[in-house]
Amino acid sequence: MSSEPQRRGSREAYDYDEGNGYPSEQHALRLRWVSSRASNQSYPQHDLSSTPAEENEEGDSGPPRDLRAIPLPMALKRAVRQVQQMQVPVVSSRQSWRRKRTKSLHELKEKARESLYFFTLWRKSLQKIGGNFGGGVQSYFLFLRFLVVLNFVSFLLIAGFVLIPSIVFRSAGTSLINSTGPDECKVYDPNSQGLVEFYKYFLDLLSGTGFMEYSYLFYGYYSNTMVENRNVSYNIPLAYLFTAIFYFVFCLICIIARMGTTARVAVATGGSAVGNYSVIVFTGWDYGCQGDRATKLKQKNVHYRLQVDLEEESRKKRAAALTLCQKIALYSLRVFMCFVAFGLIIAAFYGIFVATNFSQTKSGEEGILGLFFEYLPSIVITTGNFVVPLLCDQIALLERYTPSTTVIVALLRAVFLRLVSLGVLLFTLWDQITCKGDIDSHDCKLCQYNYKVHPCWETRVGQEMYKLTMFDLLVNIALLVLVEFPRRMVVDNWSSKLAQWVGRQEFVVSTNVLGLVYGQTVVWTGALFCPLLPLINTIKFVLLFYFRKVTLFYNCRPALKTFRSTTSTFFFLVVLTFGWCLATAVMIYSLAEIRPSMGCGPFRFFPSMWSIVPTSFYRLSTITQDFLFFIGSQAFSIPLFALSCVVMCYFIALASVYGKSVALLRAQLKLEGRDKQFLVKQIEKLSRQHQILKHTAGAYE
Amino acid sequence: MGNKQTIFTAEQLDAYQDCTYFTRKEILRLFDRYRDLAPQLVPLDYTSQPDVKLPYELIGSMPELKDNPFRQRIAEVFSEDGEGNMTLDDFLDMFSVLSEMAPRDIKAYYAFKIYDFNNDDFICKSDLEKTLNKLTRSELTEDEVRMVCEKVIDEADLDNDGRLSLEDFQHMVVRAPDFLSTFHIRI
Repeated sequence: MSSEPQRRGSREAYDYDEGNGYPSEQHALRLRWVSSRASNQSYPQHDLSSTPAEENEEGDSGPPRDLRAIPLPMALKRAVRQVQQMQVPVVSSRQSWRRKRTKSLHELKEKARESLYFFTLWRKSLQKIGGNFGGGVQSYFLFLRFLVVLNFVSFLLIAGFVLIPSIVFRSAGTSLINSTGPDECKVYDPNSQGLVEFYKYFLDLLSGTGFMEYSYLFYGYYSNTMVENRNVSYNIPLAYLFTAIFYFVFCLICIIARMGTTARVAVATGGSAVGNYSVIVFTGWDYGCQGDRATKLKQKNVHYRLQVDLEEESRKKRAAALTLCQKIALYSLRVFMCFVAFGLIIAAFYGIFVATNFSQTKSGEEGILGLFFEYLPSIVITTGNFVVPLLCDQIALLERYTPSTTVIVALLRAVFLRLVSLGVLLFTLWDQITCKGDIDSHDCKLCQYNYKVHPCWETRVGQEMYKLTMFDLLVNIALLVLVEFPRRMVVDNWSSKLAQWVGRQEFVVSTNVLGLVYGQTVVWTGALFCPLLPLINTIKFVLLFYFRKVTLFYNCRPALKTFRSTTSTFFFLVVLTFGWCLATAVMIYSLAEIRPSMGCGPFRFFPSMWSIVPTSFYRLSTITQDFLFFIGSQAFSIPLFALSCVVMCYFIALASVYGKSVALLRAQLKLEGRDKQFLVKQIEKLSRQHQILKHTAGAYE
Repeated sequence: MGNKQTIFTAEQLDAYQDCTYFTRKEILRLFDRYRDLAPQLVPLDYTSQPDVKLPYELIGSMPELKDNPFRQRIAEVFSEDGEGNMTLDDFLDMFSVLSEMAPRDIKAYYAFKIYDFNNDDFICKSDLEKTLNKLTRSELTEDEVRMVCEKVIDEADLDNDGRLSLEDFQHMVVRAPDFLSTFHIRI
């Protein structure tokens, strides 16, 4: 073929070792090629003798993706393929080897993707949920699945480095440092009951006391021994500490990695709210939606979204048209309502504080009443988390924000409430353990912590977190059985005005996500003190997945108000990061500031949990010590810091350059459109003049 | 890997694999779905490339398509004759573009064609009105329809000719994060 030499020559210009992405020039060329064809007819004629630039794209028979991405009907694509195959590529052996390598790599990737597809957890359920209820609800379940996997992997980590060595080396090993300190502090006797009633086992299971307290579940059972045989040497306390720290770092890395994938999408779209209507009209319809009912609901949903946007516009116009007096009135109302909401939240916090203190004073009670007092902080927190957002919603209605702002404001208030109420609970515990921070007060002077009330304070904190987790699960089960199913049965079978007004339950994504974030924050806070908590949480979240799925399909109707799914996934992860920060603050404080209990745990007799690191450090060989000192010294860290600053500046500059070039190209597109119109007008003018001239010339004859 | 199928020649299957985003297994599964629509019309032996077209009514009755308000346009765009009667090639093409592996560009191209009701390679106001009515079951008032159409053209029309060309559409779709996941039919 005549165009072959050109094809061969320019084939080298394209580098196909880039893996997935196409080079950008090729991308632009394809767009232009596609558009030039589109302007012909519905099925563009395939022109094999077209310009060399276009030829190069199909000419390369390397990755078969090119053929698939051509918008031609199948028969024409097959013709192109035949043409491609008929040409005998005279290439160097190096090129053919490269091409074979890319092809086999491509096939390997496809096989890997297929097998990974098979192993994805709950794939079919999520598809079904997405098809019937839309992207917003599906994003909740995707988030839940992410948390299940995160917790399970963390559990494997903890089991591998802390639990199994502890079990294996339970009896072996020598204590790391000699016992120091007054003998009263070392008294810790959790199994002092002797014979107990049967039902007490059940109560102990729920509150982590009794037979559950002195077990692998809590911090107090782990030994502070180090095993040093000829074959193996394992420092259990050091492993405990490093596993806890690594667990936090690992969770943060997972969250950031997941944020990165969603943020990339958000950045690529420019992140602007412009294009709202066109986005809803052209991408609002989910083609995967099946079923008559789901379709009708989806149509109602699209209708609602368009109406909401139109209403926001008219509201903005009205807000802009307000007089000064009305504006002042509105803003002062908003400030006042903000204070009211704040006041409600502070009242909830005070309630939690009082309840925790009261629960501590009544900690010796027996039976069901004792269980009630144990769970009192959890009960108060849950009630607060339920009641206060309801009131905040009513307040938000009075504030008359636009609908989207209302949702975000309500969500932020609920997040604040949940996380800080957990913080208040922890503060109350800290209060008791460290005698309000005053180490020299009477109770805390001997051991630097309140040894009378909390002989093993870490286990106590672990128990509180365990109780919060269990209570959360129990409340979910209770709500499912006692509220959601009955509500559906009443609404379906009892046709009265009241039942119709109440209606079937709506699946509100944001509240459920906050519940997940809260549960995960509790687990993170408690992981240092209750190493098996990630496993319990994995089981809890798996159960929660199935409960929520059941309630979704049987009891709920899809929410009319929807959240834009990609931005909301990012928002969930940001809120999760807040929870992570709270848990990290707690962990750092307990590692560094509070003296570990002397009666229990792997860090007994150490002045602080962190001090095991220097102790073990000095047992390393001199060379390792010198190396590690060098890494920590200024000679290494300052150049490293400078280098990372340079790398960061480079990426920031690159990102801003891309942003600027996108804006420039957009402006250029606009200008080209205007140029086209101008030229079209000129052509019309000239042709009219030409016509007039012809007429006058004809008239003269 | 079970080379025992006799429906297609190996060459045909390779060609399908190169021209669509499906694997061998998926192509055979799709052929079964195609055949299930009309077992008496579709032969089991495609090695001789028979010319078999299924009428639009059968295609439109597939569970994946039957509730989709745009099913007629989808069938028209992907069918050879433009009427919605699809051969196996058209069928595979259609689901390949609508699968999750297809990249944004080709999806945008075909989505543009689907929303272009009068096939003039531009989405004009009347096309937009028809799209809106199909999307909302004609429940928007005339005023609202008019306002939304104006806003859409305002936002997306870059060359200011009052209608959307393919470039405008593709430019808008790039900024829509959900497009890849909504323009997707699982089969």
